[in-house]
Amino acid sequence: MEDPGFVRGLCRVYAAMLFAYPRDFRLEYGAEMQQFFHDRCRELVRANSGCSAWFRFGMRNVMDWIVSTVREHRAAPRQTSGARKLIQEWAVTLLLFLFVTTTMVQAYVVPTGSMENNILIGDHMLVEKVGFSNTGNNWTSYVLPNRQVKRGDIIAFRYPQDVRQTFVKRVIGLPGDHIQLQNKQVIRNGQPLEEPYAQHTSTHADDDRDNFPTAAAPAAFANHVQDGEVVVPPDMLFVLGDNRDNSLDSRYWGFVPRDYLVGKPLVIYWSYDGSTKDFETWNIEHLEDVALHFFTKTRWSRTLTAP
Amino acid sequence: MPKPDLLPLTPPVFHILLALADEERHGYGIMQDVARQTNDALQLGPGTLYGCLKRMLAAGLVEESDERPDLELDDERRRYYRMTALGRDTVRAEASRLAGAVSAAKAKLGLAGGK
Repeated sequence: MEDPGFVRGLCRVYAAMLFAYPRDFRLEYGAEMQQFFHDRCRELVRANSGCSAWFRFGMRNVMDWIVSTVREHRAAPRQTSGARKLIQEWAVTLLLFLFVTTTMVQAYVVPTGSMENNILIGDHMLVEKVGFSNTGNNWTSYVLPNRQVKRGDIIAFRYPQDVRQTFVKRVIGLPGDHIQLQNKQVIRNGQPLEEPYAQHTSTHADDDRDNFPTAAAPAAFANHVQDGEVVVPPDMLFVLGDNRDNSLDSRYWGFVPRDYLVGKPLVIYWSYDGSTKDFETWNIEHLEDVALHFFTKTRWSRTLTAP
Repeated sequence: MPKPDLLPLTPPVFHILLALADEERHGYGIMQDVARQTNDALQLGPGTLYGCLKRMLAAGLVEESDERPDLELDDERRRYYRMTALGRDTVRAEASRLAGAVSAAKAKLGLAGGK
């Protein structure tokens, strides 16, 4: 007697379910269990069983499957090799680690002092990447956290001149804002800003650094200057470093596209007193320095603080 | 003599042994006989059945017979299982243990005295 199509389907499903059993058990009894299942199906077909009988059969099999897979796994001898055991033990940790470090946070070290005195050279920080990755233009904004960029936010972003580098600066201008600097004073939309976070190290006023924009402003601003003010175009940000007189920021290379945003610095997990070259490139002297002076040159008071 | 640590048997193991008491059967045949013994109260699923058989083989209660087709079903070859002497002793011991339990229950609860 030829089996009806749905019976063949059920048998295939059951064959797949067998993979939940331990390997040894499946190899030993899998074929017989499939035969058993097939016999039971044929019996039900022969008895012209109705829906409820098939339903009870299905439920009973699912229960049997759940209970017996658990039981067989518990009974299965653990004869895994050392390497395999190690992988099993670390698999979840590794998966979590990969997920977290690729999509949620990323660790950076700050090699320059452009954000002093809020972020120092040698600050090792975690940058939270979820909030800004969502620009809020699609359905994910309803289910995932999304953070709107605000003026005054410290952000991490890809340096537009070289996207391999990640910069940390402070957002000064959002799209539509009119920005200018007059003798180190930032004026946004006509209002002089009070900036307790900003630091000035010289009294000398430089063109284009302290008076901005001038005729010599970067080409990036060419079409965005109105009446001596830079107007931030849509989907762009204007950023400045807190260490105003020593910061390579929007004044020198232009706007940051919104898409280049990486995230928001979350926490400084380690802060170590060192020089720019120690944190820009790996060198053995730095390693030696850390080994010898870890406790004295770590800035403990900055550990686990938010930048 | 049955090993004392095998007793009491779980209901599936007890009924599987009973099913094999009169003749060798294959897995599906065992399930059918267990259902008959218990008036369909115990319907073994494949996972439970073969899990029990695996442990019963390991404990020496049953052994594999040979592979041959069941002429009533079809011409597919099936593996048949047979009860060992140890299995027979064990199921006897379990039956008398149960009989003792039942008579104790009858005495305490004043149930009607069966047949």
